[in-house]
Amino acid sequence: MIKLVDLHKSFGRQKVLDGLDLDIEDGKTTVIIGRSGGGKSVLLKHMIGLLRPERGQILIDGTDITKLNDQALNEIRKKFGMLFQEAALFDSMTVGENVAFPLREHTRMKEKEIRETVADRLRSVGLTGVEEKMPSELSGGMRKRVGLARAIAMRPQIVLFDEPTTGLDPVMAEAINRLIIDTQKNLNLTCVVISHDVRSIFEIGHRIAMLYEGKIIENGTPEELRASQNPVTLQFLAGSIEGPIRIM
Amino acid sequence: MNRFSGALDRLGRAVLAGVEEMGKIILLFVSVLAWMFRPPFKLHNIFKQMEFVGVKSIFVVVLTGTFTGMVMALQGYHGFRMFSAESLVGGTVALGMTRELGPVLTSLMVTARAGSAMAAELGTMRVTEQIDALYVMAANPVKHLIVPRVIAGVLMVPLLTVVSDFTGILGGYFVGVHILGINSGIFIKNITRLVDLNDIYNGLVKAACFGLILSLIGCYKGFNTYGGAEGVGRATTEAVVLASIAILISDYFLTAIMF
Amino acid sequence: MFSLSSEAKVGLFVLVGLIILGYMSVQVGKQSFGLKKGYTLEVVFDSAAGLDRDASVQIAGVEVGRVESIRLKDGKALVRLRIVPNVKLEKDAIASIKTHGILGDKYVEIYPGTHGEAYLAAGEQISRTERQADIDRLLHQLGLIADDVRGVTSSLNRVLAGQAGEEAITSILTNTKALTRNLNHVIVSNEAALRAALENTRQLTGNLNRVVTRNDEKVGQVIDTLKSASREMEKTFAALSEITGGVNRGEGTLGQLVKDKGTAEKLNQTLASLQEVTQKINEGRGSIGKLVNDDETVRNLNEGLTGLNRYVNKAEQFRTFLSYRGEYLFDKSNAKSYLDLRIQPKEDKFYILGVVSDPNGRRTTKDVTVGGVTTRTEEWDRDGLLFNAQIGKRYKDLVLRGGLLESTGGIGIDYLTLNDKLKLSFEAFGFGRDRRAHLKAGAEYRLFRHLYLSAGWDDFVSDQDNRSIYGGFSIRFEDEDLKYMLTTTPIPK
Repeated sequence: MIKLVDLHKSFGRQKVLDGLDLDIEDGKTTVIIGRSGGGKSVLLKHMIGLLRPERGQILIDGTDITKLNDQALNEIRKKFGMLFQEAALFDSMTVGENVAFPLREHTRMKEKEIRETVADRLRSVGLTGVEEKMPSELSGGMRKRVGLARAIAMRPQIVLFDEPTTGLDPVMAEAINRLIIDTQKNLNLTCVVISHDVRSIFEIGHRIAMLYEGKIIENGTPEELRASQNPVTLQFLAGSIEGPIRIM
Repeated sequence: MNRFSGALDRLGRAVLAGVEEMGKIILLFVSVLAWMFRPPFKLHNIFKQMEFVGVKSIFVVVLTGTFTGMVMALQGYHGFRMFSAESLVGGTVALGMTRELGPVLTSLMVTARAGSAMAAELGTMRVTEQIDALYVMAANPVKHLIVPRVIAGVLMVPLLTVVSDFTGILGGYFVGVHILGINSGIFIKNITRLVDLNDIYNGLVKAACFGLILSLIGCYKGFNTYGGAEGVGRATTEAVVLASIAILISDYFLTAIMF
Repeated sequence: MFSLSSEAKVGLFVLVGLIILGYMSVQVGKQSFGLKKGYTLEVVFDSAAGLDRDASVQIAGVEVGRVESIRLKDGKALVRLRIVPNVKLEKDAIASIKTHGILGDKYVEIYPGTHGEAYLAAGEQISRTERQADIDRLLHQLGLIADDVRGVTSSLNRVLAGQAGEEAITSILTNTKALTRNLNHVIVSNEAALRAALENTRQLTGNLNRVVTRNDEKVGQVIDTLKSASREMEKTFAALSEITGGVNRGEGTLGQLVKDKGTAEKLNQTLASLQEVTQKINEGRGSIGKLVNDDETVRNLNEGLTGLNRYVNKAEQFRTFLSYRGEYLFDKSNAKSYLDLRIQPKEDKFYILGVVSDPNGRRTTKDVTVGGVTTRTEEWDRDGLLFNAQIGKRYKDLVLRGGLLESTGGIGIDYLTLNDKLKLSFEAFGFGRDRRAHLKAGAEYRLFRHLYLSAGWDDFVSDQDNRSIYGGFSIRFEDEDLKYMLTTTPIPK
């Protein structure tokens, strides 16, 4: 279970997180929505210890990771998988090597086992026979699938998704959404998804949290959110330029 | 008055930034040292970098070495002819190559070729979140990315320097003996007479230091890239400029210490 | 297509690089470990300026070795050469330092000696060197020549440029005047140098004089003992001539020893001149006799030294040594001291003058005739000094000497070996009717330049229980050192 308490983070003079509180339930998919550049990615990076807050706590299964050293943090990170925005595949390695990377890093599997596990993970994201390809030879959607395969290679408890459908055509976006739902269900994952793709949110999210001006202003089921009277949420969901969200 | 204090302010900031950067590079070096001896050792990564830094730089190093030796022979010949000491050309070329030009030119060429590539590669990895991905997968980027590159730099630059020294002397021999007509026996005799084993070895020690400098700075600049494609370009340029300057400055001090 | 793994490519590259490095190292390093064989020779040069370690050694332009080391020895450069084994050099080879071109490196050129001479063995020294005009000296001389040429041309110019002959003559006269002034200057400065030289000598004798006067009392004693010694000597020589007469006739073992006519003749001559010398001493004439009349002696000594110096300058053979020798007589628990001045006008000829302090002292005998019965009494003067005055000649390793030994007539034979480091000697003196001769056999070994150790058996056939094993040391300075010591040692007034 992930619990964020009173997080503060600023870059220069710009305050990105301003006393943010959020609980993420186990075995559910929580979607965090908010404006572009509103600090969603920053929030995600805090959860996995890539960034450290100026103030506040990040509790992963009760452990405050803001106080941990690198070694202990790495132990916590083994519970996580993360799918980056552009998949962040190592482009000096083949697809197979990318997926095998965490296995080679943290397990003592034999080459044969690794090859089998890689093939299994790729199959679970709907890919076969791409092990020898280089990431640059893949389409954006395929890259994201490989990224997901790598994220779940170690069978993590928590998977973080950084805008999984951005930059994809609607068909491909839909396919990725399906993949997230299936993976979550099959592996019983705790998923945290960042998105501003309104159509996807309601499809994949068990809970939806609205980030606005460094705080979570709404947190509820998709139904609750749809019924929300909060002007910010209303404007965001409607995609209207009229409302409290300042364009500039 | 205001303008004056503004200038002072900028100067101070620049100096502080420089000192801070140097400190960061040294810290990076320390962590490279720490990670270098921590298993597991990814030999394949190291060999890949050695291939990239060493094997793939051979051509450019041979080219620069040969032509440097040739031009030194040509220039030296005209100078020495004034004293009827043309026979010293061989020794001068050999001494110049082994002590100074071999290590420095090789390092500069490797900086331009491999140091810049290191900065660009790591910079791209940084902006495409590949470095973050490494962190997320609980893998230390210093160990995975920087250690192999620094090892490759330290090992391969001296080896390339050997090649450069040799081809430089060959180039000098070609020009001196076949074009300028210096007696080949005397040419070679003066090389062996003037050049000491220590000249070669100290040159190689220098080259190893330069290899360390260029790979470390290349990695540092790449690793700390920010700001997308533009940032990668900036990091690459800065890496080459900084590494070249550092090589030339440290060359002076290394020479002062060793010879 | 044929393709290699990264590892293989790197491996290949490393291999090639190391091969090149090894090749270059061997090529460059050859000189430093290539010439370990061969033998060394030494040469002493006045100056080894510009010569470096590992410089080439050549014969007729062919490299036959390298300079191994350059060290300073007695203000000169001792250069050790390593020569390849198959090149042999004759004893009279000549070494010189030469230069490749004007700015080139220095190297050692050797002119091999005459064919048929013995070869130099390892560690030996090439004794002959040739001084080479080095660039500095050459340029200096060129500069002097240029000055001269300019002087000539400028005076010529003055003569030629003069409109009237009068002017020309005037300038010529001026030149001449300048010339004569220069000449005068040369003479004057030479005179000064001459004077300085004389002054030095005078100072030396002055010092000697001071030494002598300061020790007036002792000198007095010396005179006294000398006088009685000479009286004694008369008798001694009577006996000596008797012995030599016997020797001359070929009697006795000693006679047989010198049966060879040449040796006998030489010995005869030697002893004759010895007799002459001792005669003079006996009469109080000659240099020793005059040594005691201080003022005059000093003047004589002064003149003598000047002449001596001249002689020394002409031929460096003339050498004088001052030596002190102390011998401890173990069986008698007593010490014997010798102070000798050894004058060596030629390599194979020398004179020894000296005093000896014998613990037994000086023996004097008195014949007292009372009522027709002559009683001889012996007296020992414990403070008495004994004298040495010997003449000697060296034949290769053998030295024969004779004359006064401890105030009695006697002879000595020395055998020198180990480059003159070891001297075995035998002395026989004090032949008297009433007692056996004093025989002494010993050895002396040179430990350092000035220090010698000695040991032997003194008076070993004595019938008066004087025989004793002795051991001791001696210090010997050559006159150069003596001069230096006398002029630098402050003497209190």
